[in-house]
Amino acid sequence: MFGSLAALQPRQLAAQILNFALVLSTAFMLWKGLSVFTNSSSPIVVVLSGSMEPAFQRGDLLFLWNRGIETQVGEVVVYNVRGKDIPIVHRVIRRFGGGSAPLSLLTKGDNNAADDTELYAHDQSYLDRSKDVVGSVVGFVPFVGYVTILLSEYPWLKTAMLIFMAASVVLQRE
Amino acid sequence: MAEAKISPHSLNDLKNTTDDALANYLRGLQFRQDNTKLDVRLAIGYASVVIAAVTFTADYKLGWEATKGWTAVAVVAYALLNGAFTYWTWGVEKGCVFDGVKEGRKISVASKTNKHEPTYYLTVTDSGSAASARQIQAPFTTWFTADGYFVAKPFQQWLASSVEAIGAADVKNASRAETEEATAPGPEEIETVAQSTGSAQASGTESKSKSSKRSKRKG
Repeated sequence: MFGSLAALQPRQLAAQILNFALVLSTAFMLWKGLSVFTNSSSPIVVVLSGSMEPAFQRGDLLFLWNRGIETQVGEVVVYNVRGKDIPIVHRVIRRFGGGSAPLSLLTKGDNNAADDTELYAHDQSYLDRSKDVVGSVVGFVPFVGYVTILLSEYPWLKTAMLIFMAASVVLQRE
Repeated sequence: MAEAKISPHSLNDLKNTTDDALANYLRGLQFRQDNTKLDVRLAIGYASVVIAAVTFTADYKLGWEATKGWTAVAVVAYALLNGAFTYWTWGVEKGCVFDGVKEGRKISVASKTNKHEPTYYLTVTDSGSAASARQIQAPFTTWFTADGYFVAKPFQQWLASSVEAIGAADVKNASRAETEEATAPGPEEIETVAQSTGSAQASGTESKSKSSKRSKRKG
């Protein structure tokens, strides 16, 4: 299998490696392109908990849009708690400000008993729309996100997948 | 030449092995290979990979908000470079296997196969005689055994006899192909001819009977 690689001229080997590098970089640039288009740092997120049931289940894939400045009560938003990197998907239940004043939001999970005041950082009692919110949910695909959950819970899967992809692209000559 | 076995049912493998053998053969005939087309493709490709790598590093170190503007520029640049890359591969390179020059004679070879058809199509552009491209073809069975071994001789003979520039560089293979195309003499015929020329000085009848006896015994 690797004998076919050894028989290649150096330029041809460089071309084969380029094929794999292009697969990775195109995937990454597509992701960044989508980020730029939606103005969101993470335009596609996976639901990790059951706090929004029955609307969203664990493993659902959500599509975000961050160019709607006037977020309304009832919209589902994804936000990062200040200081933590975990995205949380909850519904807006109160809003303050808006228009020319900065917009503040209070959120609550549909399936939770209390609002998110407990979840925010220690000295934080509301969300700043421009700083904390990653985007509002505009669409979703059920269940597909489970792959991401598996990859994060079993990190060796990520390495295995990458190695398999690399081998199949570099050794194949189209 | 290393005889690696390939699957004779994989058109992809057949074409790739033949392409590599063609390039090796021409390089062996002292054609100096011109790598410009491949070099341009590698340059465009690696430039876009570098842009992606720089964007990744900047985003990793500085975060999303700080790098938003540059990321937008990078995405556009990447899209343009990838478009150029695709154009170069499909429009300019177009199946090119070998570009080379020997003693002022430029040769450009591009190969092609059709799905489910075990035939090797070559488009050869020769700077010497005819300026336009020539199409030649041969079934892969000409130089592949049934179990997938590549045999260099018939491949080189086909190339040398079909393409003038190659035939001029490799006279042995070009002329060998021509003599084989004529009716090949059988073993009996060769022996009788050898005997009769060897004993031409002896009396005609004797030698003839002798040679016919000899050939009968040996046959």
